[in-house]
Amino acid sequence: MQKPFFNKKLVVTMVSLIIAFLLIAFSIFVRNDRSTPSFIQNIGNSAAGIVDKVVNAPVEGISRVTGSVSNLTDTYQENAQLKKKLDSMNALQVENETLKQENKQLKQQLSLNKSLTSYNDISAYVISRSPSTWQNQIVISKGSNAGITKGSAVVSDKGLIGRVMEVNKNNSKVELVTTQDDAADRFAVQLIDNNGQTVNGLITGYDTDTNLLVMGQITSKENIKKGAQVITSGLGGTTPKGLFVGTVEKVVNQQAGLPTKIYIKPAADMTNLNVVTVAKRQD
Amino acid sequence: MRIPKMRYIFPLGLILAIFLDGTLTHVWSGWMITPTTFVECRTVFLWIFIAVCFGEVDHIIPWAIFAGLMYDMFYTGIIGVFLILFPLMIYITRWIMQYFEPSFIVLLLIYLIDITVLTALSYGMNLIVGQTSVSVVNFIGRTLGPTLAFNLALYVVLYYPLKRLFLKYS
Repeated sequence: MQKPFFNKKLVVTMVSLIIAFLLIAFSIFVRNDRSTPSFIQNIGNSAAGIVDKVVNAPVEGISRVTGSVSNLTDTYQENAQLKKKLDSMNALQVENETLKQENKQLKQQLSLNKSLTSYNDISAYVISRSPSTWQNQIVISKGSNAGITKGSAVVSDKGLIGRVMEVNKNNSKVELVTTQDDAADRFAVQLIDNNGQTVNGLITGYDTDTNLLVMGQITSKENIKKGAQVITSGLGGTTPKGLFVGTVEKVVNQQAGLPTKIYIKPAADMTNLNVVTVAKRQD
Repeated sequence: MRIPKMRYIFPLGLILAIFLDGTLTHVWSGWMITPTTFVECRTVFLWIFIAVCFGEVDHIIPWAIFAGLMYDMFYTGIIGVFLILFPLMIYITRWIMQYFEPSFIVLLLIYLIDITVLTALSYGMNLIVGQTSVSVVNFIGRTLGPTLAFNLALYVVLYYPLKRLFLKYS
């Protein structure tokens, strides 16, 4: 009597294991594909997004109240510091406006309507974060209805945070640059070295221990100083040029034959994201 | 005589818990996700666990599969990891439960084993499919330790309310 029962159990276990791994393989295939997720997944996630917004609202409200109480205590100090910054800020803003105007006029003269730096921005708020270490993802509140496309770069108010991985009707998933996935899309970035030359490279990974991004495949390694600003280069793909990534923290020259790595301190704080902007390139 | 109220309470709580995980992770991401720690919030598994121990819920395995599917689809996009892990955890819990009388401490230890197995297996599955390259030492230090601490704390806080809820309505 014992034996057939055991066999049935074994068969069920094996079949469900095989189905699970087939599903995993299928979903990774869909993920790496350029198009949006499969039909059923799309509908399921759109429905889930609506329910999530309902669950999210009260929790967010409570945390906002407690957050504002603790903010209140820091406000005085912050105010004093910010006042100092504000004066230089105005001057910068005026300069920025003038340059923008000039840039626009020059572009018109060249009859150049779209360049690598022009993009449409779509603002969205973060509704959820994946409770899994291995997929460092957030869910944002806009989807294909708002015009978001797969592969667009996503920035917070301080700098680049990641790339859209999956687009549903009314929400989408963003994979953060701090993810460790080997198959993740890489950002093409550049920086200006001491001689005024542009150094191109790729964000090849993320160092969890030091919280720094790793830039590899660089075209030159001379005269790169700490603190140089790194921006996206807009080369090869869907990312616009000129999104701020971070500043150079250190340059590591490795032993014979191995490529040099530049460690970048990311400008954006990945642990405290509330509102993000999707930068969709115009061309 | 069965009171069918559990038929509504369990699925509602399950769906609430699924989305609560992501929301809590987002709201508390300041201290949950740092370079040295990553807390994986698992309120949905706490709900299933207490239901297995105290509730008389019909079709708990299909519901666990549903929860796993939602979890995978909405949070990770890798379908199949929690889809198979949540039902597996129910089997493991039932298998251990038959040797013990349920009490606060015994269930705490079973829950500790469950969370360890759940986190370790999800790490292993992601390692196999190349979603991560983190070493085992890093995994234990950064993910497993903080996850256990947080989830056991959650268990201690929610044990009595959830137990009473399930005993009352089933």
